[in-house]
Amino acid sequence: MENIYLTIALAPLLGAIIAGFFGGMLGRKATHTITILGVLVSTVLALYVFNHHVLEKGEIFNQNLYTWMQIGSLNISVGFLIDNLTSVMLVVVSFVSLMVHIYTIGYMDDDDGYTKFFSYISLFTFSMFMLVMSNNFMQLFFGWEAVGLVSYLLIGFWHHKESAVEANLKAFLVNRVGDFGFLLGIGLVLAFSGSLDYAEVFSSLDNTTNQQLWGLDLITVICLLLFVGAMGKSAQVPLHVWLPGSMEGPTPISALIHAATMVTAGIFMVSRMSPMFELSDVALTVVMVIGAITALFMGLLGIVQNDIKKVVAYSTLSQLGYMTVALGVSAYSVAIFHLMTHAFFKALLFLGAGSVIVAMHHEQDIRKMGGLRKKMPITYWTALVGTLALIGFPGFAGFYSKDMIIEAVHFSSLPYAEWVYYAVVAGVFITAFYSFRMFFLVFHGKSRVDHHTEEHLHESAPSITFPLIALAIPSAVIGYFTIDPMLFNGWLDNAITIDAEKHVSMTELSNIFHGAAAMIPHAVQTLPFWMMVGGIATAWVFSLYRTQWADWVQNKFHRTNYALESLYGFDRFNEIVFVGGIKKLGNLLWKVSDMGIIDKIAVNGSARLVGFIGSVVRPIQTGYVYHYAFFMIFSLLIILTWVLFAGDNPLLQIEF
Amino acid sequence: MTFDQILFYVFSFWFIASSLAMIFSRNAAKAVLFLILSFFSAASIWILLEAEFLAITLILVYVGAVMVLFLFVIKMLNIDKSTLRAKFAGYLPLGLIVAAIIIAEMTLVLGGNQFGLDVVAAPARHAADYSNITVLAMQLYTTYVYPFELAAVLLLIAIIAAITLVHRNELNRKKQSISEQVNVQAKDRVRLVSINSPNKENK
Amino acid sequence: MMNTFQFDTALLLVALPEIFLLSSIVVILLVDLFLTKGFKQVTYYLTQFSLFITGLLAFNLIGHPETVIFSNSFVLDNMASVFKVFMMGATMVAMVYSRHYLTQHSLFRGEYFVLVLLSVLGMMVMVSGYSLLTLYLGLEILSLSLYTLIAIARERSGAIEAALKYFVLGAIASGLLLYGMSMIYGISGSLNISEISAFASDANLGSRETLIINFGLVFLVIGIAFKLGAVPFHMWVPDVYQGSPTSVTMFLSTVPKIAAVAMLVRILIDGLGAMHPYWSDLFMVLALLSIALGSVVALMQTNIKRMLAYSTISHVGFIMLGFVTGVVTGYGAATFYVLVYVFMSLAAFGIIILLNKKGFEADQISDYKGLSKHSPWFALMMLIVILSMAGVPPMLGFYSKFFILQQLVSAGFVTIAIIAVVFAVISAYYYLQIIKSMYFEDSEKEIVVSAPMDMKLILSINAILILVIGLFPDFWMKLALSLF
Repeated sequence: MENIYLTIALAPLLGAIIAGFFGGMLGRKATHTITILGVLVSTVLALYVFNHHVLEKGEIFNQNLYTWMQIGSLNISVGFLIDNLTSVMLVVVSFVSLMVHIYTIGYMDDDDGYTKFFSYISLFTFSMFMLVMSNNFMQLFFGWEAVGLVSYLLIGFWHHKESAVEANLKAFLVNRVGDFGFLLGIGLVLAFSGSLDYAEVFSSLDNTTNQQLWGLDLITVICLLLFVGAMGKSAQVPLHVWLPGSMEGPTPISALIHAATMVTAGIFMVSRMSPMFELSDVALTVVMVIGAITALFMGLLGIVQNDIKKVVAYSTLSQLGYMTVALGVSAYSVAIFHLMTHAFFKALLFLGAGSVIVAMHHEQDIRKMGGLRKKMPITYWTALVGTLALIGFPGFAGFYSKDMIIEAVHFSSLPYAEWVYYAVVAGVFITAFYSFRMFFLVFHGKSRVDHHTEEHLHESAPSITFPLIALAIPSAVIGYFTIDPMLFNGWLDNAITIDAEKHVSMTELSNIFHGAAAMIPHAVQTLPFWMMVGGIATAWVFSLYRTQWADWVQNKFHRTNYALESLYGFDRFNEIVFVGGIKKLGNLLWKVSDMGIIDKIAVNGSARLVGFIGSVVRPIQTGYVYHYAFFMIFSLLIILTWVLFAGDNPLLQIEF
Repeated sequence: MTFDQILFYVFSFWFIASSLAMIFSRNAAKAVLFLILSFFSAASIWILLEAEFLAITLILVYVGAVMVLFLFVIKMLNIDKSTLRAKFAGYLPLGLIVAAIIIAEMTLVLGGNQFGLDVVAAPARHAADYSNITVLAMQLYTTYVYPFELAAVLLLIAIIAAITLVHRNELNRKKQSISEQVNVQAKDRVRLVSINSPNKENK
Repeated sequence: MMNTFQFDTALLLVALPEIFLLSSIVVILLVDLFLTKGFKQVTYYLTQFSLFITGLLAFNLIGHPETVIFSNSFVLDNMASVFKVFMMGATMVAMVYSRHYLTQHSLFRGEYFVLVLLSVLGMMVMVSGYSLLTLYLGLEILSLSLYTLIAIARERSGAIEAALKYFVLGAIASGLLLYGMSMIYGISGSLNISEISAFASDANLGSRETLIINFGLVFLVIGIAFKLGAVPFHMWVPDVYQGSPTSVTMFLSTVPKIAAVAMLVRILIDGLGAMHPYWSDLFMVLALLSIALGSVVALMQTNIKRMLAYSTISHVGFIMLGFVTGVVTGYGAATFYVLVYVFMSLAAFGIIILLNKKGFEADQISDYKGLSKHSPWFALMMLIVILSMAGVPPMLGFYSKFFILQQLVSAGFVTIAIIAVVFAVISAYYYLQIIKSMYFEDSEKEIVVSAPMDMKLILSINAILILVIGLFPDFWMKLALSLF
């Protein structure tokens, strides 16, 4: 089996290397054939592994393959941990990646960076595999950074676009915040357990009992720090700002990286760490609340967006919020379940959006679309499937996963759970509203497409429509077939730990579960269903039936609208506080240290600014060296005084 | 108070006073002279400590060579006194405060209460035939031979540095070129020009 | 007294690298005098050759049992040998890069090489110094050579100024250091490191002795902090980095840092390790100040040399944090960090030099606009270096930071680690500026890479190794740990 696992990971890497270094030589056709072949191999083998582990209940594979470094007793290795969780992730990642590879042939057809793009997405696939297959924190972190790196490269792929470069920077910086929280969490894990291996860490969790750090339980601090990492990668409020920006990248990567796989890495990681999170109710509550905030408020933002990709992006944020809520209430398997269904239908929606964008000659404003149904039937029907799955229409994949999350919150005994319950139920209405608003505006109603584009409007090439169909099928049915085994029949049991006594959601869920088919008629009697119907109806009214009402509402509630359109001011806040603040601090420190504060404060008057940039030829200024020398002596004085009279071990006690 | 002590305080006073005078004097040449005075005082204190060789060296090397060189330099360069002083007054109060605090702290740690005679015994007097130079030489060429060599390297660097920094490029060097001298032609050296003198009034 | 002195020539063999280097310096100095204009390259090759042989001799001594000679003033242990080998290697690489710069800016003179060799000699003395006196002399040999090296480009605007600033401030720092040494000598009665150590770790040390040792300690720490360029004794760093010719900046920002760390280890750990609780607090403050100031002020820079200066300051902070831990593995982490830093810095300055042309210094960040178009290969190399400096895995620079932070956390300094990490995050921003201008901006100017083949080759290897060693860092970490 070891070789199979290795092949899964290395096949896309090989493809990436060949495409990256020899892409120019080989030409487009050979490049995409090779990379697709690599991912195809991984997909087939991933299915085999899935069969072996999940269906045939094979042994967990946990082995170090190569020792990276050994610092004292700390061993850092490359190793694989393949259990059912990993198997599920492998299938999802490889399948979506395969579809995106095929789709790219059509989508990037007229782009100069064709071979480079294939190289990047294959490289991404490899990194993602390494991340999910890891058996230790270090490799997890590396995979984490590697997927991030490829993500930046791809967001800035069209670097002639100013906005793309800016989005790229933003993604990089926001993720640094998350990553360093994550790294600190790993550091603390290392500090208490002396190891980075999952199994060893989980078995030494007893070390953390009754240990405190900064007024909190040690385990809580660790979980929160790890969750900060997850927040960065999975774009939870307030670290979500980079994800909408990432839509500047080409659409295939929005589907692959910023919807289906990379952004769910945080969800995967928290599920993986379930033995730790189960020990801290505080951390779980934080996770749940952050998730709920993201789910509700990011959904609201989806309503006012007019860029087709931005709508889907905010929907992704909101759905990630749902997954996070599920994690918070200890329904890890439900989170993974939603992760899986979401990967399919959201990839589908993005690729569908991409198909529309290509047809519209890169016009992304949904107000300039309309009536595309007849021109693009395949895109239309697959998008309908995706949208129904997203809003949780009974029977579709999203229905099962989202309903289970809502129910799980309902049963949770954590503080604030009831508020979160209302938030996620309200989220259903919002999801239905913005999804169908977009759907109606794009495909129904009168055409608002400009004349020139209208003439050339036609269904996309087979390489684009094939992935749409291939993704539509699981989006429709996968929930029905997998809900029972995945949630209640132990597919994920060997990877997830739940303290069933304290966190009862899953137990209660299994009590009320009477089969996938029974859920559909039952759904009609529940609140979420009617919220969804209400959402669709509202969307219909505002976008098709009485479009002028939308304007009326916008004017009437201009304050709310302003808040939404300015994205709650997160960006402005960041701009002012972080970017501006740090610049100001920098300026200040620079003035203090570089420009002679002595002149300004101590010796007032001779406020001659001493120039600092080298292009100015500067004569030797004794006053200048003077400053430096004086500063040194002054520092000496401070240090001497501190050492003698202050500090932890003062050398001289002053007696009065 | 023994005679030794009186001498010590006298020389110490001169030492400190002349150092201060050097710092505060407005004229660079005077400053050098005060520095020489302070060297003399220091040398005297060394003699009191029975370190005759060091005392003599200080006077011979620093006063006899270095300071004279300094004087020459100062006399040759035209140093503008006003620019040197321009900012001095502004910094003086602050500088004095900082210096005072540092001196206070140092006295606290290194002063008489830590290194006084009641804490550290006075060193024993040497016999009359004790030779300072012999002992120094022995130490320098045996125990401290490695630092001694390093000091030599330091001097080598100083020489290289001085030459490198002062040495101008080849154009400024006056040197003989024998081949040029041998191959020289009359027309290279002498140019005959006919001068028209339009008016001869000045004759 | 006359009978106590023994001189065993066999013991001199442990100082063979130094002896060889000094002899070759003298030879090169003389040979250079007689070289006519067309043969000046001979000096360069002789320099490289003698560095290589010296490195080889030092390499041979790795594993030699610890030996102390010259009346307890010279020590040879593994740390000394390994450091010497690294210093030779780094200097050789620096010389390869420098040659291109020197020819471009007509600074190619024999004295340059001789002075570099002399400063290397000074550093070797520091690395092997086992008494305060030799440590000080080594430091002075190093500093005096560096001052001259900076001033050698007299025509360059700012070079003389930089040299003078460095000289004046360096003299003050030396004075403080010397003063501290005299206090240590005054109370312990010895200049020798092992005797000082024995004195300081005496269990019955009185309060008077503790007081005076620690008072002297403050001065010593300041002297070392100045040499490292730690805040608040960092003022010279940006000015000198910017004002010096780039080849000198490269040299003085890299190899001497190894020597400074060695001096730190000799004085503060080998000698006054018993006083660790006293100096570690001081170190912590200086280190955090350095990291904070270095990271934040670098944001404002448009000159890449000045930016690297501030980046150095923050790197130095990290190195010092390694010594705060007070455990042997922490010292190992700091040593690893300094070696990695030297490696990265060489490559970074190498690329700056690479883009130099006659009369043009590529020292503005805007000069790197569009590099990925004009020279994709070296843009990639610069990318590796910059990512490494920012601490992005799997580059070498990540491990050095990780190692330090790991040691801090396991020694219980969690809050310190977090502060350091926060500033490391901030510093990512200015590194990103360079990447941004290389990859995402276009320039109207054509960038021509005119460097000789050997430089291109070594530079590429240098940068690629940052990545490759990053993939297999195990051996180097173990090596750094084994030195303590």
